[in-house]
Parts: sequence; C-alpha cells; structure tokens
Amino acid sequence: MSPAPDRLSPQITTLIVLLVVALFLLPWVAGRYPVYLAMQILILAVFSLGFNLLLGYTGLLSFGQAGFFAVGAYACAKILLAVPNLILGIAGGVACAGVAALLLGILSVRHTRIYFAMLTLAFGMMIYSIAWKWRDFTGGDDGLVGIPRAPLEIPGIVSVSVAAMDRYYYVVLVLSLLAILAMYRLIRSPLGLTLQAIRESDTRAEFAGVPVRKYRLIAFTVAGLYAGLAGALLPPLENTVTPPIAHWSTSAEPVLATLLGGVHSFAGPIVGAFLFFVIKDVIVRFTEYWLIWFGIIVVALVIGFPGGVMSIFARRHRRVVQHPDDADHMHKVQ
Amino acid sequence: MKKNFSALSILLFLALVLLPAVPAHAQCKLGVPSIKVGVQGAASGPHADYGRQIEMGATMAAEEINAAGGILGCKVETRFMDDENKAATGVKNARLLVTDWGAHFTVGTDSSGVAMAMGPVLAELKRIHFFTHAATHRLTEELVAAKHIKEIVRVSVPIYQDAIIAALIFKDRKDIKRWANIGADYEYGYVAWNLFKETLKKHRPDVEFVGEAWAPFLTLDFSPHISAVMAQKPDAIFATPWAGEAVQLLRQALIQGVFDNVQVWWQAMGGSVDVLEGISAEVQKDRFKGKLWATARYIHNWPDTPENKSFIERYRKRWARFPNYSAETTYSALFIMKAAVEKARSLETAKVIDAMKGMQIRNPGGLRVFRSEDQQFIYNVPAGRPVMDAKYPIPVLGDLKVFQAKDYYRHPPFTPVAVTK
Repeated sequence: MSPAPDRLSPQITTLIVLLVVALFLLPWVAGRYPVYLAMQILILAVFSLGFNLLLGYTGLLSFGQAGFFAVGAYACAKILLAVPNLILGIAGGVACAGVAALLLGILSVRHTRIYFAMLTLAFGMMIYSIAWKWRDFTGGDDGLVGIPRAPLEIPGIVSVSVAAMDRYYYVVLVLSLLAILAMYRLIRSPLGLTLQAIRESDTRAEFAGVPVRKYRLIAFTVAGLYAGLAGALLPPLENTVTPPIAHWSTSAEPVLATLLGGVHSFAGPIVGAFLFFVIKDVIVRFTEYWLIWFGIIVVALVIGFPGGVMSIFARRHRRVVQHPDDADHMHKVQ
Repeated sequence: MKKNFSALSILLFLALVLLPAVPAHAQCKLGVPSIKVGVQGAASGPHADYGRQIEMGATMAAEEINAAGGILGCKVETRFMDDENKAATGVKNARLLVTDWGAHFTVGTDSSGVAMAMGPVLAELKRIHFFTHAATHRLTEELVAAKHIKEIVRVSVPIYQDAIIAALIFKDRKDIKRWANIGADYEYGYVAWNLFKETLKKHRPDVEFVGEAWAPFLTLDFSPHISAVMAQKPDAIFATPWAGEAVQLLRQALIQGVFDNVQVWWQAMGGSVDVLEGISAEVQKDRFKGKLWATARYIHNWPDTPENKSFIERYRKRWARFPNYSAETTYSALFIMKAAVEKARSLETAKVIDAMKGMQIRNPGGLRVFRSEDQQFIYNVPAGRPVMDAKYPIPVLGDLKVFQAKDYYRHPPFTPVAVTK
C-alpha cells in the first residue's frame, strides 16, 4: 500500500462533500426502503473499516469479528430493554465489545497468519455458542425481540425521540461519519503508521523498538470497538437480535465487503459495503436463487479486480501522478 | 333501423378501440392497479420445502382469485421472498416488500423466531401479515392479545396442536407412564414439551417425565439424543424436530431399535407432506409397528369434504405435489384476505381487521373461525398414525383422533407458559 497523501485532492474533497450532503438529504428525496438500505450499508461500512484496520493496515486476518459485532448488539439490546436510553445503549454496546476484544485480543495477538485467523474464528464461534446456549440472558435461538428505538436522552437535560425511521437514520449517519473520520485520522497518526510498519515487516519494526504485540492488541481492540459500534446500531433498527449475527458467516461479510472494495484503500471497505448490499438487493429482486448469482458476481469482481473496485481509481491515479517517476525509474534501469 | 344499426356499430367500434386505453385499475373498485401480496418463507436450507409450499399455495390462490375476477375487480399480484429462516432476513424482506414494492398485505413465515422479530416491525409498517406456519403461542398471546399489535393475524394452528392434542390422545393410555422428550432446542421445542407435560399431568398425575435431549437447528446426527433418552427406559417419546430433521430422527430411531422398546412415538409435525414422503418406504414396510403418531397444521386426507378433495386435485394438477400444511394455510390466507377486503371495501388495516371480526370461512382445511382477542383463526386438525392408503401414493394419517379446536386451544385471558427447558 502506498502511503496516503496527507491532504485529499480538491476533486476528492468535493466528491466527499457531495456524498455527505446527499446522505443527509436522502430521507427527503428517497423512500423508506432506500433509507433503511442506507443504514444497513453504513453499519457494514463501519464494521468493515474496523476489520480492515486489522487486515489492510496491520496484516492480521480475523475471522471472528462477528463475535464483537454480536457483543455490541446484545449489550445494546439488553441495555435498551432495561433502560430505554439510546446513548446508554450504544455506548454500552461499544464498551462491552471493546472489553471483549481486549480480553480475547490478549490471547489472539500472540500469534499471526493462519494461527491468528483460526484463533479468532474459534473465539468468534465461542461467542456464537454463548449467544445460542445462554438462553436466560440472550433468548437463545429465539433471540431478543421488541427492542425499542429509545430516545437520545441525557436525563434532566435533553430527550430527542428517534422512534421514526428517518430520525434514527440521522443517528446512524452521524455516528458512522464520525467513526469514518476517526479511522481516517487514526491511520495517518503515528499509531496508524506504526501499524503499517508492522504489516510490512514485524521483525524490522521490532528491531526499531516497536512493541509489536502491544500495537497489534491496540489494533485488535479498535477493530472490536468498531465492530461493537456497528453491532450496537443494529438492534434499534431491527428491534431484534438473534444468534446468527455472531456466526462466522457474519464475519465473512466485512471480509467480502473489504475484498470487493479494496484492502489497499481507505475507502475500500466503504465502497465494498455499498456494493455488497446493492448487488444483493438487486439480485433478490429478480431471483430467489440470489446466493448463486451473488457468489458468481463476487468471484468475478475479485478475479477481475484483485485489489478491489477501488484499485481502478488507484491505478488511474498512479498513471497520472506517478508517470514522471516511472519514466525516471525506467530511465535509470536502462 | 339501419341508422340504429350504424350507431351501434360505431359504439361497438369505439368500445373496442378505447377499451385497452382504460387503465387496468379503473376496473378495480379500490383504486389501485393491483392488490399486492408479499409472500415470505424459508426457501433455502433444510426447511426449504415449507417456503416453496408457501409460495405454491399463494401463487395458486392468486391465480384462482384472478381467474374469478379478482377482489372487487382488482387483480392480485404476489411476490415471494426467501427469509432463509433468519429473523434479520425476514425483517428486511418485510421492509422491502412494503416500503419498496408496495405490498398491501404480507403472508407466510415459517419460523417462530422470524415471526416474533417481524411482529413489532409490522406495527411500524402498518401492514397486516397473515402468519401461515410460525407456531409460537407468544405471537398471538403476547404480541396481539397483550401488546395489541393488530397487524398480526394467524391462519395456521399454533403450538397447541403439537402439545395439547397429544396429551388428550394419550391420557387414556394407562400402559404409558414414562415419557421422554427429544426436543427442538429453541422456543418451539421448549413450549411444546412444557404444554404437553402441563396438560398430561392434569389428567394423569401418575405419569413421569424421565428424560430430555435437545437438538438445535440443523442437527444431522440424532443418535446421541436417542441414546440419552432411551437410557431412561421411557414408554413413549415426544419429539419436536421437524421437516428433514424429523425424517432423519425417525430413521435413526429405527436403526437404534427404538420402536422395539417404546409403546408410542409422538412426532409433532410428522403429518407434513415432506415428512410423510421421507418416511414413505418405512411406512410401507410397517417398520414403525403402528407406534408412530403425528399431526400437522393441516393434513391432506382430512377433512373428507368436496372442497378439500377439489383443492388437492387442483394443487396436484398445478404443482404435481401434494400440498403440505403451509401450502393450505397460505392458500386459505389469501381467500380470508379476499373475504375481508370485499367486506371492508378498503385496504386499510383497521377496516380489514374489523371486517374479519366474526368471520367464519370454509377453506380446504375446514371451517376457520376468527377469534378477535388474539386474532387467531381456529379450526380442527386431527392427529393419527401414518399409514398407506390405496388412494394416495404417499402415506396419510389414519386412525384419526379428532378433537374440537375449542376444547384444546388455549383461551384468553392467557396464563403464562414457561419458554425455557
């Protein structure tokens, strides 16, 4: 991955501003279903961004992120069922997922490559088993239902109802944008650059005095916090939480979204989340056998764009920006 | 006369030319191009046949309604979606069907978990969903009777059928004192077993419940469950895994010699067509030794009425299959919707629900009566033993035990039932 420029080009900045404005205007111009779909996309985008901090920036492939997604969702649901306060629910969900990621991270980051992947898969499925079997707390296979879309409330100061879908959309949108912005800052911070150094060569980083395991644990915990935030946004939207959200097949969703969008691009997971839902949504309109077609399209995209869809833009950008360097380099080689 | 004839010809000509220009919904007295009915069911995974049967039942009902002129002149349009037996998918589908496709009604749903997740969302979407398979008592007792979600209507018989009717059948079998359970490891399995125990204990304080083994969704190997309960030497088994899992369970029970050692095996939804097809060879060879008992939410050889016979014939002609219960309940749901809309002359939820009050309607499965308190349609379904009948290529339920629905359905005000193991 080439180091990202510190400042975005004016064209990219304009595009982002337009996109954000469009997202804020969405409930005014689109029907209820596109708004609902946009929330699903934003949630998966946050989930995938956290995942890509591990894969794209730290070089760790986790197959267990759904576990933290589920911890965030169940914790938020339990809080909302007990205390109808959305701020408390979401904050509680994020905190619980962060603690779970920290604890399991201590055990997981001792290993890398396939061993790390297998450990995270095992821990993720462990959380899935707990969600399924601890019926008194999680509702077992039937899950938790009737979760309220509670108001945003600071007791005694302010209480804003977000019961209407359009209002809750703005909660999801603002939190997602903040999460995206925070991640953008993080990967450009010394912490982010250190993580990228570890990805490139952990031995070299270690010799440079970087406590590699500690940094991996930080990345793992941050990814868990992001998964937790994504998970915590779900129960007020769907009014329900069931064990399949902790299953490894849910862990595959950010993997797929990131591969579709591009591992080596900051926006890759966001674009991938968009593609993931749009492709699926278009296919289910035409056929019940959507899984087959979805699989074919994903395989074609991954083969056609090995670096993800965002690699097209990266290639074009490189062709334009890096051409003089390339020529110089070629000249030197000759 | 000649002048009149010419005028008539011109009028006829104009009518022929202008008729196609009149929008289709101009004939519809409800002012919509068509009445859209969103259909959902599990169409992938081991329970996929139930979703397919839901789709076939809905499609056939819509075809027949349209062939007979529609509902108040409005055509019925259906759209099926696979809910994958997952709550999140069911909720997402409901949103898509109503807010994007514009469904006026929705129908179907196999899983109780999906149904319970959809309930509160239906209130938000303000659309009636006719549930045609999901059996949890909480759907109607809790969400409708207690929480007043009027968008929920259930056309299929709830879990009372799986549990209470079994207790009523076997209460007089004095030779059976020790019951064991191989249960579905989720709410449906827990509630069925708890209701069965509660009802049987009232009639037979002397019975013992000697063992329990719980099998989660997608269990392939039931041998440990069978061994665990058989170690307690039960006289009878109460089993709730359903669909392909029920077939697998019964075959493994045969291999493990269970039918040599028990007097009765109650297979809750064993009267479903897919299960009967799956155990057809074993029934033909009488390998269950007459000890297997089952029920369903509708069985294809009952009631013995012209309506049911005609339904079976048309269904077999249309789909080359026998209808299972989810097909009959979904088919009937569309005709219930038709009757309610015709009475209400509106598509508004409150008016359609009002129109259902006091409704008694004859469907292939028999007379269904609407109970307003929990918006549950009540009808009789018997239980019996799977046997071969020369009139059918697959087993049917024989030695039928018919109980009046009013005698075994739970009644409001509802008392709580334990939903835990």
